Amino acid sequence: MIEYSRRSSLISGLAGCLFLVFVVLSLSSCGRQNAGSGKPRTAMDSTLVITIPGDADYLNPVLGSTVTSSNIMGLIYPSLLQSEFDTSTGLLNYVALNKKLRETTNGEAKKIPEGAVARSWTFSADHKTLTYTLRSDVFWNDGKPVVSGDFKFTYMLYGNPVIASARQQYLAELVGAEKGKVDFDKAIETPNDTTLVFRFYKPVPEHLALFHTSLTPLPAHHWKNVKPGELRNSPLNIAPLGAGPYQLKSWQQQQELVLASNPKSDLPKPGNIPLISFRVVPDYTVRLTQLQTGAVDVVENIKPEDFTALLKANRQLEIKTVGLRVYDYVGWSNIDQKEYHKSGKVIPHPLFGSARVRLALTHAIDREAIIDGYLKRYGVVCNTDVSPSLKWAYNARITPHAFDPARATALLNAEGWLPGSDGILQKQGRRFSFVLYTNSGNARRNYASVIIQQNLRSIGIDCKLDVQESNVFFDNLHQRKLDAWMAGWAIGLEIDPLEVWGSDLNRSRFNFTGYQNPRLDQLCDLAKQKMDPFGAKPYWLEYQEILHRDQPVTFLYWMQETQGFSKRIEGEELNISGSFYNIDDWRLHPSANIAQ
Amino acid sequence: MLRYIFKRLLIAIPLIFGVLTLTFFIIRLAPGDPAAFFIQPGISPNVAEQIRAQYGLNDPVPVQYVKWLGNILQGNFGRSFSRAQQPVVEVIASALPITMTIALLTLVANFTFGILIGIISAVRQNSLLDRFLTVTALFFYSMPEFWFALMMIIVFALKFPLFPASGLNEIGSEGFGPVGFVLDRVWHLVLPVTVLSINGAAGIARYVRGSMLEVIRQDYIRTARAKGLPEKLVIFRHALRNALLPVITIMGSSLPFIFSGALFIEVIFAFPGMGRVTVDAIFSRDYPLIIANTFISGTLIVLGNLFADVLYAVADPRIKL
Repeated sequence: MIEYSRRSSLISGLAGCLFLVFVVLSLSSCGRQNAGSGKPRTAMDSTLVITIPGDADYLNPVLGSTVTSSNIMGLIYPSLLQSEFDTSTGLLNYVALNKKLRETTNGEAKKIPEGAVARSWTFSADHKTLTYTLRSDVFWNDGKPVVSGDFKFTYMLYGNPVIASARQQYLAELVGAEKGKVDFDKAIETPNDTTLVFRFYKPVPEHLALFHTSLTPLPAHHWKNVKPGELRNSPLNIAPLGAGPYQLKSWQQQQELVLASNPKSDLPKPGNIPLISFRVVPDYTVRLTQLQTGAVDVVENIKPEDFTALLKANRQLEIKTVGLRVYDYVGWSNIDQKEYHKSGKVIPHPLFGSARVRLALTHAIDREAIIDGYLKRYGVVCNTDVSPSLKWAYNARITPHAFDPARATALLNAEGWLPGSDGILQKQGRRFSFVLYTNSGNARRNYASVIIQQNLRSIGIDCKLDVQESNVFFDNLHQRKLDAWMAGWAIGLEIDPLEVWGSDLNRSRFNFTGYQNPRLDQLCDLAKQKMDPFGAKPYWLEYQEILHRDQPVTFLYWMQETQGFSKRIEGEELNISGSFYNIDDWRLHPSANIAQ
Repeated sequence: MLRYIFKRLLIAIPLIFGVLTLTFFIIRLAPGDPAAFFIQPGISPNVAEQIRAQYGLNDPVPVQYVKWLGNILQGNFGRSFSRAQQPVVEVIASALPITMTIALLTLVANFTFGILIGIISAVRQNSLLDRFLTVTALFFYSMPEFWFALMMIIVFALKFPLFPASGLNEIGSEGFGPVGFVLDRVWHLVLPVTVLSINGAAGIARYVRGSMLEVIRQDYIRTARAKGLPEKLVIFRHALRNALLPVITIMGSSLPFIFSGALFIEVIFAFPGMGRVTVDAIFSRDYPLIIANTFISGTLIVLGNLFADVLYAVADPRIKL
């Protein structure tokens, strides 16, 4: 009896297992049919799937601070102006319905002016008052008109210290800001619903005035009852009311955020693709796999080492590039950080204090080898932090410091660094030995740091490598605790380098090297005072010559950002101002039309 | 027994509280700053300061501790720094069921396969089958889970696209109907649960084999065979029951391990469960969320151990609690 019951339970267990296997297999075979046989996948045909490594934070322009949030908010909310990047000059252009800052010289700029709430603007001769005329025919999704009061209301939120908006720097030239607090009564006026006036306490170049006054608005009538202290916790943040080409359909946090084309939008029009899904996939390999299997359409920042396998495995993919905005560098502490922390005195660093030594280090590092080995045609040698994409300011006459170990050795010898008994250079009993720090989880920097270590070893410099957890690494960097490190910057499209190179080390928080040069400070100030960017060009040319001569850091390479796209997407225009720059104009091929 | 359980639960309260206090100070001692994200060019230096003030991080640590204590005693774990100020309890409430599902499925698969393989290995000791199973088990046991997961994805999602590589559901799965939705969910769970359970099952198989071999040599097994009982009855009724005693202890204590294993698996398979919440919270120095996660895993460890002890007493009448 006992044996019987045991046997029967065994049999039923086995049957259960078999059923499960059956279910799983039948399910998986469904999946295979979908993926392989070219049957129409109706849900996918109307949905563009973009993977993101991390979720959006707030869908509120005052608070949202991640790139993902910005991309999504750009589709949901209206904007005062449209901005476009002119690739022939490298300048940002601003467009209202009936006015442009400047005529673009190439045909690449494709933003249609109907996306702007502003009809036009006038800028006073003293460069202190900017007056926008708004359209009266644009509406929030609840039917209420978009009015000048919405902009003033939102600017007051941007400037409220209780809210701690990451964009409060945009208000730094408004009247009152010079005394520490923007006087909103005087700084922003709204005489009627279609007139919006911004007043600055000092003359501001027009492009900067437009840039700083075109922050995204919130609907005032919808938000007015939310107290500033409660803004971050408001449930309205996850149910945004907008007016743009898309609206939020669903948001399962940390999983998927879906936008649906907004049929009511006339800013500029409802988005072409019915649904856009942003899927959170934290792991890079999995993002890559999903792109390869066709489960997703766009994966950003694909590593060059994966291109060949990816394109070989799936011919329906292509790699698109944007750039150049991102560079890596090796930072050398120009000053003795320990002494600076102890007494506040600035004395040259014992190893890297001399410009000639830093120049020698640049000559010793084979930057081309790093580019050839890792970035391939997606990297360019970097001379200074002015990108070649900013053509109007880029100094093309500078020739890169070549890889020349012999010249490096000669420079070091001239500085008194001579080989010791162990083959390592020595000066007054001190060995040329240091630790090069970098942050963990960056394959490119790991690759580069090993080459740098070998290059330096061959001229008698002992360079040890240390990888730190990112939080720890950047904390050490900000506290100026590191002697040598490898990091990178993503530059803004406006040149504003004083925070990175300014001589006042207390104010220039990102001057990690401690480099000081009064002429550089002066050039930055002179350039800022010019009301026309082209007028500032000579200053920026000299600025680049100084950086190239002094080598406060060894600039390594500019990188193109490389994005993987499914070929079923049509009409995409990638732009240095963003990969999703014209996403509302993209279209999808039905899957049945894609050749398998 | 009830008294014993009650006593153990009472002891657990100061224990967990101590763990939370330690965590509170350790994470604040660790380098890194929850407002670090706001320290970058183009963002006013005031922002990081304002953010820290909002989070209450400008107070001295003892003051922060007292405030935190007051909140915790009222059951208030605070709001997450990194997840748009969502209440921590909400974050956990949405993540815990996902991890629990994975953990329970894994637990069942672990023990079913582990015990079966262990018995076969022990009964057929030193046979070719035993050697094969032992080598295979050791192979999987020594494999890091995150690597195994990536290999499974490459094989079963990329080379032979049988299973999805990530996510809990397919795009548009809301339209599949309730049965279709659940099946879609099961389909998405196959790879992660397999990865988690193969590793664990291999370990359990080794335990079961060892303890089975010990039991099989006992006199009472010889007696059972001598009185003519069928071999199946001898193995399953007389040997297995006794051999499973040490395994039961593992069951209770393996729950936290499965949880920590889920940490990698959830990041790799993009499941929004506790594992990912923990990893993200640590990297972004989200103090309230780290503490709440410690609370959950601490409680699980304590309850798991208690569960094991109670099971032990239930299974073995010689043990009195």
